Amino acid sequence: MSAIALAGVSRWYGNVVAVNDVSFEVGPGITGLLGPNGAGKTTLLHMMAGFLAPSAGTVNLDGTPTWRHPEIYRLIGFVPEREAVYGFLTARQFISASAALHGMADRGPAVDRALELVEMVPAADRAIGGYSKGMRQRAKLAAALVHDPQVLVLDEPFNGLDPRQRLHMMDLLRRQAAEGRTILFSSHILEEVERLSDRVLVVVAGRLAASGDFRRIRRLMIDRPHSFTLRSSNDRALARELLAEGEVDAVELRDGLLTVRTGDYGALTRAVAPAAQRAGASILELRPADESLESVFSYLVRR
Amino acid sequence: MTAALLAITARALLNRRRTLLLALLGVLLVLVTVLYRLGNPSDTESLEVTRRLLGDFGLGVLLPLVAVIVGTAAIGSEVDDGTIVYLLAKPVPRWRIVLVKLAVAWVVVVLLVVPAMVVSGLIGHDDPGLAVAYAVAAIAGALEYTAIFLGLSLVTSRALIIGLAYVMIWEGVVAGLFAGTRILSVRQHALAVAEAVGGESAVQAELAPGIAAGAAIAVTVVAVWLAIRRLERVELRGETA
Repeated sequence: MSAIALAGVSRWYGNVVAVNDVSFEVGPGITGLLGPNGAGKTTLLHMMAGFLAPSAGTVNLDGTPTWRHPEIYRLIGFVPEREAVYGFLTARQFISASAALHGMADRGPAVDRALELVEMVPAADRAIGGYSKGMRQRAKLAAALVHDPQVLVLDEPFNGLDPRQRLHMMDLLRRQAAEGRTILFSSHILEEVERLSDRVLVVVAGRLAASGDFRRIRRLMIDRPHSFTLRSSNDRALARELLAEGEVDAVELRDGLLTVRTGDYGALTRAVAPAAQRAGASILELRPADESLESVFSYLVRR
Repeated sequence: MTAALLAITARALLNRRRTLLLALLGVLLVLVTVLYRLGNPSDTESLEVTRRLLGDFGLGVLLPLVAVIVGTAAIGSEVDDGTIVYLLAKPVPRWRIVLVKLAVAWVVVVLLVVPAMVVSGLIGHDDPGLAVAYAVAAIAGALEYTAIFLGLSLVTSRALIIGLAYVMIWEGVVAGLFAGTRILSVRQHALAVAEAVGGESAVQAELAPGIAAGAAIAVTVVAVWLAIRRLERVELRGETA
């Protein structure tokens, strides 16, 4: 059981602050690092994996600073976001070289096990240079798993994977976590983090905006003022009925578009259909007006 | 551990088309020598011209050019394309990475330079001692040059440009004009080795062998120390940072 602890960590590049006073601890299980692009996720992961020095604060793995302590890599497997690999090697050679650099003596079985884990056995003897993005991602993961690390750090592991590969990767990470490993992955996609993580860290503009159980963060995200846009056969009557219902804080009718604001997501969704019935209107379209991840993030930050 | 590092470095260096193009420079040296020898020169004349070919073209152009391209690529290309992360994410002492990469780059430089110089020396002049003297000088010079350029590639991302400028300006012009700067010229160190091996008929070097050897070792050690220090502190940023 290994844990990575950050205490008061900041990192700046010249005048630009990439990470600002972040503290948290990541233990066994799957933790998702969620944030929009440019929020500082990679900077955080690189500091945790010992590739960047924190400008302030400490980053420790089981009490050892990660920066300038290469021996921590016995415990860590790291999967970088960058696609660059040794294109001239086959997956088997790449994973075997990884095992050799870890000083493993009997490498054959470990390499086979890693290849099976990522389902790369059929393509194992082809050069990585000719692989698809998804296959490269899996080869990188196998190379990071070959020494059976306690901690696995993955930077945007789902980028470039098709839906089937995505499910497979999720399944694989779940199994690794079930064996007691500490897994930390970054993503800018809410759904990936929601489906996979036990715990979520939300990073916005270099700060830790929220952390904890996903359900709690989800509630924070849901129990906030929501806007919906509606198109129906009779917007005016529908607006009247919704206001009478009392679940709606405000309605606006402009350019033939009905915008409804509510503080209670669930109650509104339940109220819309009966209100439409009473108004004698058919609903043509109902959609959230501000569900982009950025608007959710900026709401969390304002809190 | 070391074997895997050796294999990856060697394949990465030899896979580059640039490296193979460099072999053509050696072929060029041999071709020029062959053409010259076809003109049936006298013995004293062939000694003088072959000395110039091996000293000015071999040690003065071929060796530094090959060393700057191979030496800056040995670690630098991996830092540039990000694959260095796969080496850094291993519990391998950084000094070992530097020493293994230096050894591989040195061997590659020697393979690209020395055979051409030996063949050229044997064709150009009847006494094989000349070829041997310059071959040994090139092997020694290759280590010093490669160490300098490998260290340079960890200090700046423009190592190739700076390295080329150094070869042309410092080695090519400054060390020729000002005697005091010769103690820090790799080419002068190598010429001193050639004289120590082949005697004064090979070359009349500007530096005494002891001084040249001391300076060469000092430069190499400082370059290697700097490279290790930099690799221990190399920082990997995200693609957008």
